[in-house]
Amino acid sequence: MSQNHNLVSAAEDLIQEHFELEPSLEKVIWINSDKTAEIRLLEITPETFPAGEVLSYYFPPDDELPYATILAQITPEEWQKVLRKEISLPEGWTLENHKVYSRNLVAA
Amino acid sequence: MIDRQSWQTAFLKQARVDWEAYQRTRQASWPECHRLLFLQMASEKLGKALLVAGHSSLEKITQTHAAFVKFVQIAGNHRKLQKALGMNKSQQRAQFKTLLPFAYKIELLAPALSQHGPNPEYPWKETSGNILAPADYPFPLIKRLRHTPQGIQLLKYIEIFLNRFEALFM
Repeated sequence: MSQNHNLVSAAEDLIQEHFELEPSLEKVIWINSDKTAEIRLLEITPETFPAGEVLSYYFPPDDELPYATILAQITPEEWQKVLRKEISLPEGWTLENHKVYSRNLVAA
Repeated sequence: MIDRQSWQTAFLKQARVDWEAYQRTRQASWPECHRLLFLQMASEKLGKALLVAGHSSLEKITQTHAAFVKFVQIAGNHRKLQKALGMNKSQQRAQFKTLLPFAYKIELLAPALSQHGPNPEYPWKETSGNILAPADYPFPLIKRLRHTPQGIQLLKYIEIFLNRFEALFM
């Protein structure tokens, strides 16, 4: 099994788990999914507090998830502002090579 | 990256001494505003210690006062904490959700977020026109933190996260 396959599988398991845990989660954007050393997820949920910026938190790899994860949560309105470039993404994050996961897509 | 590690170490160190100051001010002789001031500062820097290892710009991190609630929200889904806190994932998520209103109230104590209202650092003007000093305000949050299960739990978690930060988050 390739390293990339393992990364995709780990990322998608994590995304599915977050959809299961968080009923209000609308979308998860896997940012720069071509990066092989870490998983960057931008979660869109109306239940988060709007900070007017994208604050991304680092979690180190461990036995269960051998990739560092960087997670951020923003509201749907903030996501629209990100798309309009009114709110910037964290350093090094771009919308190139991103994947969008919705609840329906994950459940399918 | 080395620079970010140095920032993380510095935020963590300051969060720990702020927490120690909070613990000392729990004695009845200290004004409640000082207890909450140190608690707010410790929690904000705890959030920033985790935030600074991510990719947010250092300028945003140093300026924002909104690092703690997001931290609690995101930590509620974090797998590694399940083992450390002895919970399954849905218990963890449910419990962290109950802590969010308290985390939000602590975060709003920062003068920049208090909207010219009660905060533990600067005087403010009430709608009645009275000017109040933090030293004269009773801060109901103090009692809620110390006498409700959610408040007690949140304080316990802040202590665990500060004490075990390296093992949990680095």
